[in-house]
Amino acid sequence: MNVEIAEAVSLDERGVLTLEQLVELADLPVEELRALVDDGALAPVDPAATSWTFAASYVVVARTAGRLRRDFELDAHSLSVVLCYAQRVEALEAELRALRARMG
Amino acid sequence: MKYKDYYAILGVDRSASPDAVKKAYRKLARKFHPDVSKEPNAEEKFKAMAEAYETLKDPEKRAAYDQLGSHAPGQEFRPPPDWEQHFARGQSSFDDVDLADLFAGFGRGEGFRRRADPNQPVAGRDYEAAVRLTLEQAFHGTEVQLDLSVPEYDENGVAHRVPRLVTVRIPRGVTDGQKLRVPGKGGHGMRGGRAGDLYLDIAVTPHKLFRADGRDLFVDLPLAPWEAVLGASIELPTPAGPVNLKVPAGTRAGQQLRLSGRGLARPDGAAGNLFAIVQIAVPTVLDEPQRALFRQLAEASTFNPRAHFEREATHER
Repeated sequence: MNVEIAEAVSLDERGVLTLEQLVELADLPVEELRALVDDGALAPVDPAATSWTFAASYVVVARTAGRLRRDFELDAHSLSVVLCYAQRVEALEAELRALRARMG
Repeated sequence: MKYKDYYAILGVDRSASPDAVKKAYRKLARKFHPDVSKEPNAEEKFKAMAEAYETLKDPEKRAAYDQLGSHAPGQEFRPPPDWEQHFARGQSSFDDVDLADLFAGFGRGEGFRRRADPNQPVAGRDYEAAVRLTLEQAFHGTEVQLDLSVPEYDENGVAHRVPRLVTVRIPRGVTDGQKLRVPGKGGHGMRGGRAGDLYLDIAVTPHKLFRADGRDLFVDLPLAPWEAVLGASIELPTPAGPVNLKVPAGTRAGQQLRLSGRGLARPDGAAGNLFAIVQIAVPTVLDEPQRALFRQLAEASTFNPRAHFEREATHER
């Protein structure tokens, strides 16, 4: 049995990824990632740039998108809508966590 | 190889039409998909049904699956002798093969005959693992050992389950629900394809004293009435060890005393804060001299904690 030691990397706002890297990590076709940007579900660092880059934290969003698309067989538009709701639920859950932490 | 009854998992007959299979899957997916479900074991259940649907929705895979015959779920079995010739490439042992890996390879160029381009690089699969940490481990960072069972491919491209022990260093300051990436520690790529990544889903066990909101921590700080009134220097536990906290005179219940930078570390090197939330604890058992002191205080004090009731009532009129 092989024992390997590896470093876990935080997916935080400091790192940036190219569109190609995001495509590779999310397992989503590039045109679908572009559609998610057009629909506002993913925001490039500079939308006006010729080559888009994304905050590394978008890997989680893009992977969720890939999973939802595959598991529910969604088209690009439905995926954007579902992703938007998923992000809202996540924001509400974060708010709930914050309140619970403060209230005890 | 252990048999899995994909039809039973989706709750359909073996003769079910593709449409009936799809309907059954969609109904179950809505209920158990881990992104939308709060059902217990939703992830495990969803994985089983997604695996079943992945095979049954594809006519070629379904035909290959059907030809494996029908067995009891969990029963060890071998594919019929002619099965490999029809569906797989080369002779492989199926002893440590998981049905999910076998059918996932169908169309990826891993073992099965159907392949788009036999020379095309195939990226390794990403793996996911759940990691549960104590708050102290999240605070200080830690090393965890993951005992994974992963598919590895033989010369015929058939995936065999092998144990893989991976020790991962978790950086300090990870939070509950965070996802970490361990680059290159997923499945091996084939024909020059890149290795997959290992993704870790971090769960932090609730702590008896501290509650976390992102990288800020909160702890209840019970004070005796006289400590709140007069101020006090008290020893406050923090994940890094106890610190002396100066409680100012006139501290009120619910007030949050901030200990800057005593929360969880942030990736930029700074740290969240620790907030001590003041509670006024009242002694429930008093002896007579103590009771007399409180009576004396009550008589001497002009403090009215409900003065705003009167102000509001006057204002309403």
